[in-house]
Amino acid sequence: MPTRVSILLLMPLICVRVHSNAGADERVDFFEKRIRPILVEQCYPCHSAEGKSIEGGLRVDSPQAMRRGGESGPSLAPVGGDESLLLSAIKYESLEMPPDQKLPEAIVKDFEKWIASGAIDPRDEPVAAVEEFHSEVDYAAGREFWAFQRPSRHALPEHAAGDWCQTDVDHFVAAKLLNAELAPSGRAEPQALLRRLSFDLTGLPPSADQIAHANTLNDVAGYARMVEDLLASPAFGEHWARMWLDLMRFADDQAHIVGNDKSLCFPNSYLYRDWVIQAFNDDVPYDRFVEMQLAADQLTPDNPHDDVALGFMGLGPKYYRRSAPEVMADEWEDRIDVLSQGLLGLTVACARCHDHKYDPIGTADYYALAGIFASVEMFNRPISDDCELGKNGEAKDPANAMHIVRDVEPVNVSIMVRGDVNRRGPEVPRRFLTALCAVEPEPFSQGSGRLELAHHVASSENPLTARVFVNRVWAKLIGRPLVGTPSNFGQLGERPTHPELLDDLAVRFMEQGWSLKWLCRELVSSATYQQSSAAHGQGDLVDPDNQLLWRMHRKRLNVEQWRDAILAATGKLDLSLGGPSIDPELPDSRRRTVYSQASRLKLNPMLALFDYPDPNAHSARRVQTTSPSQKLFLLNSPFMFANANALRERLAKETSKQQQLIERAYQLLYARTPSDDEVAIGLQYLSGSDERMTEYLHALMVTNEVLFVE
Amino acid sequence: MYDAIDRRRMLQRAGAGFGMLPVAGLLQQRAIADGELVGPHFAPRARRVIFLFMNGAPSHVDTFDPKPKLKEVAGELPEGMKTKGDGYMPSPFRFAPRGESGVVMSELFPHLARHADDLCVIRSMHTDTPNHEPGLLLMHSGNQQPTRPCLGSWASYGLGSENENLPAFVALCGGLPVVGPQLWSSAFLPGNHQALSVNTSDMKLESLVAHLKHPALSRGEQREQLDLVQSLNRLRMSHRGDKEFNAHIRSMELAFQMQAEATEAFDVSREPEYVHERYGQTTFAQSCLLGRRLLERGVRFVQVYYVDKNKQPWDTHADNDNKHRTLCADSDRATAALLADLKDRGMLEDTLVVWGGEFGRTPYSQVAGKDGKGKPGRDHHATGFSMFLAGGGVRGGLMYGKTDELGMHAVQDRVHVHDLHATILHLMGIDHTRLTYRYSGRDFRLTDVYGRVVNGLLA
Repeated sequence: MPTRVSILLLMPLICVRVHSNAGADERVDFFEKRIRPILVEQCYPCHSAEGKSIEGGLRVDSPQAMRRGGESGPSLAPVGGDESLLLSAIKYESLEMPPDQKLPEAIVKDFEKWIASGAIDPRDEPVAAVEEFHSEVDYAAGREFWAFQRPSRHALPEHAAGDWCQTDVDHFVAAKLLNAELAPSGRAEPQALLRRLSFDLTGLPPSADQIAHANTLNDVAGYARMVEDLLASPAFGEHWARMWLDLMRFADDQAHIVGNDKSLCFPNSYLYRDWVIQAFNDDVPYDRFVEMQLAADQLTPDNPHDDVALGFMGLGPKYYRRSAPEVMADEWEDRIDVLSQGLLGLTVACARCHDHKYDPIGTADYYALAGIFASVEMFNRPISDDCELGKNGEAKDPANAMHIVRDVEPVNVSIMVRGDVNRRGPEVPRRFLTALCAVEPEPFSQGSGRLELAHHVASSENPLTARVFVNRVWAKLIGRPLVGTPSNFGQLGERPTHPELLDDLAVRFMEQGWSLKWLCRELVSSATYQQSSAAHGQGDLVDPDNQLLWRMHRKRLNVEQWRDAILAATGKLDLSLGGPSIDPELPDSRRRTVYSQASRLKLNPMLALFDYPDPNAHSARRVQTTSPSQKLFLLNSPFMFANANALRERLAKETSKQQQLIERAYQLLYARTPSDDEVAIGLQYLSGSDERMTEYLHALMVTNEVLFVE
Repeated sequence: MYDAIDRRRMLQRAGAGFGMLPVAGLLQQRAIADGELVGPHFAPRARRVIFLFMNGAPSHVDTFDPKPKLKEVAGELPEGMKTKGDGYMPSPFRFAPRGESGVVMSELFPHLARHADDLCVIRSMHTDTPNHEPGLLLMHSGNQQPTRPCLGSWASYGLGSENENLPAFVALCGGLPVVGPQLWSSAFLPGNHQALSVNTSDMKLESLVAHLKHPALSRGEQREQLDLVQSLNRLRMSHRGDKEFNAHIRSMELAFQMQAEATEAFDVSREPEYVHERYGQTTFAQSCLLGRRLLERGVRFVQVYYVDKNKQPWDTHADNDNKHRTLCADSDRATAALLADLKDRGMLEDTLVVWGGEFGRTPYSQVAGKDGKGKPGRDHHATGFSMFLAGGGVRGGLMYGKTDELGMHAVQDRVHVHDLHATILHLMGIDHTRLTYRYSGRDFRLTDVYGRVVNGLLA
């Protein structure tokens, strides 16, 4: 019997009608006389489209909906032993249905018999004919495009600026610069370099001690030591985690919260955030890092704690009315979008309704991936033994759970013609993207196929994974990505400004064990990175956007770096690692901004104001806006007042002399000493009294210099 | 006398002043990553829009779509449908043609009746889902999931603001509606196109807009502080002509000016007594009044939500008739006052007013109360409902489209939500097929691959 049920489950999206033989006719009769009336009378009021509600997302008014089940899972699939959820519910063994009164024993027996004989269900529903479907994708031609070719090492180019170069990166940069008759800029001042390194590697301003030793950055060994110190700081993982959290649309709730029902929210999302931070601090190889997030449960089955990494998918949006096929199809799109844009730099979601118009991604490729996510369910796994369990072993209260995914009975999905859930094309086996496989891709065979997917993504054979990640890290450190569209390496994306450099770096990154810390070290050790950010006439004329890197880009701090810098200056910053989310705008909240609540429902206004991305979807990169509303926050918010006061109190403890106080404030906020003019302006504003000290410090906190790294 | 002068000044401002202001003031500060303005593609008929949103969905058969036939079939169950009630339920309200044009509405709208000739009632609206969340998202963003920018954000993106000291897009809510901020989200558009959301449950200025005023410093003192900031800023860029730093310096100045301008704009207590009287004192009425002040000052798109502590007051599953009496009385008075106000100021011509909810309500009843003996309500209904437009280039005195004789389905001149969106953008001078944003590998638009401009609605 279980076998037959699972056959039904294998085809939940395809209409199954069985009345071709006499046995089936008898069973249809049984259903009509003994089952259907009970369903209509006892179950429809709370579990049908026309009923007064659809409790638990379960509908029993169509065979499809019934098999698909509701929030507690498929109703006819066996759970535990060999019993279906429906049966155990009417027996009052799991759920208690109908809630008012248990059904008479005879009826329960009827249901047992019905399910045992295959749960034949002839209720009318439109028979979706399988439509023909033609794909026009020319994969062979598509694979010719640069991004689908595997990267390779490149010989260092010949050029005349050898003296300037410190690392391989510099040779690629210098050759292009000289070609354009531009010269690289000189090295930045040590104080500026220190501030740059510190914000870029840890997201924090340099400490007083580091500032005191800034001059050690003048020699190569001193610079290298500083880099190692920063790479070893736990703040490193906190800073780099944020890049990842943007990409995988980290959040702790949903855009839809009906009433006070928080059952779809993620109160323990922070466990995943902590895992990411730790992984970056431990320099977990990036290929492993990715594999774990797709299939930790299968990679390290003996270490269930690792499964928290599955939050990569497990913290995805759960949309309203999850029992509807079109809503689940929308959820698959989210998963595919995060996977493909985030890890592969491909916009596979474009192929949901038609073949991708520009890239070699067919609709079948889309539904091959959709099948993987259709074979996976969101799962609130209990984090302690003593919490109350709901159906299927989930923690009843999400507050007692880690939010992950797990495999369900694997299914293949049929192509939805033009993305319409009601128009069926051929079924597609679960498999990887054709364009990224040398030959026709093999169907996945292990459960949902997550592990096989993970291997395909995190592979040195994959032409995109390393390139896409290297490009993201480059963008964070250098200020502008090599490929200007970090989540789209396709035809409509931009071409790399330095293709050989990107490829060479990507290959070396893989050779170095996919190490993020190696990559950071490699980039910040370059002369390119250490250039001054000062502009000059020739550069502005030839290459105003600085694509060729004739100077270092000036970088604007993101909201996390900025808020952390303010708290660090006032001495309030709490550097303890990990833990639950905070409200970053509260004047007394002291933890790093990476720990902020990330709400899909109502994003924290301060984060929203300063360009934090909408956590409802993958974010390719931060947009930067400059608006008067931001400035109003700087001028008039309780957050800024509290910090201006705190800075004043901190400084008052250290000195009562105004000039010293000004110098100290400059150190804390800008990591430098003030010029004579700056001191004079400050003294003039204060005019001999401390009355306006808070306003003065507040002013220092809102200048442009705080917002930018030179 | 004083009022007359004041009004004349207002009219001058509205008539001439705004046209002269540069589109897309610096407040808009198009994101650096974001190119130039997209529109307008052609001369707009509506320079600004106010969308009055009746959260929970008003009943069309009790408001703008009379169905006398319901009396004949009262109590009969709709064919082929399983309902939760006692069959068709006629409206208890009297309907009559109003104005010269004879636009028909129920007795629940005595004030709006006087504006009948300005109303363009669409009786053939339809949408894709009878559920609040996806229905609200569809009406706002053309999509059922919370991943797309809303109409107001698209308008802001396409047209910018007409007043550099105020945001282009403002959402006024007397509480948090169902779904909430995703309704006015810019999603993947740059964050500056998100609505400034204002909780109008407390109209005191300090509670309305965040960070508008320094609690201690006088304007003069704050100016001195700002001069200090700017002199330090300039000192750091003396050796660099620097666009980026300049943008921040300018933005800081705008913020300073905005404090004064927004303080004035958001302060409804500056309105004379008779104006307050005209609108009424309810949260919705005061929100409409505030909306009018913002429109006058160049805000491009205002959304007013009819919500209070109840996130969807119009969701009348029980006691439909009495609830509609109360809700309509409030909405009627305030909406009519808004129309009158806009007209007085010469602004109705180029201000589009939109009134409606996320869908309609069933022409048949829904039983209420635990014992089923409560006063009946009406359930959600997506396949036919009514909305109305006024001003801004639409044909006044028009009843457009039809539902069947029982008000079940839109049957003639059907207008889908996408069509409404296309039409609103058209009135604002935007071709909905050309207002696009490249994201995630493709060009997105409000109407996706759907939508057509409903020419029959245009003046």
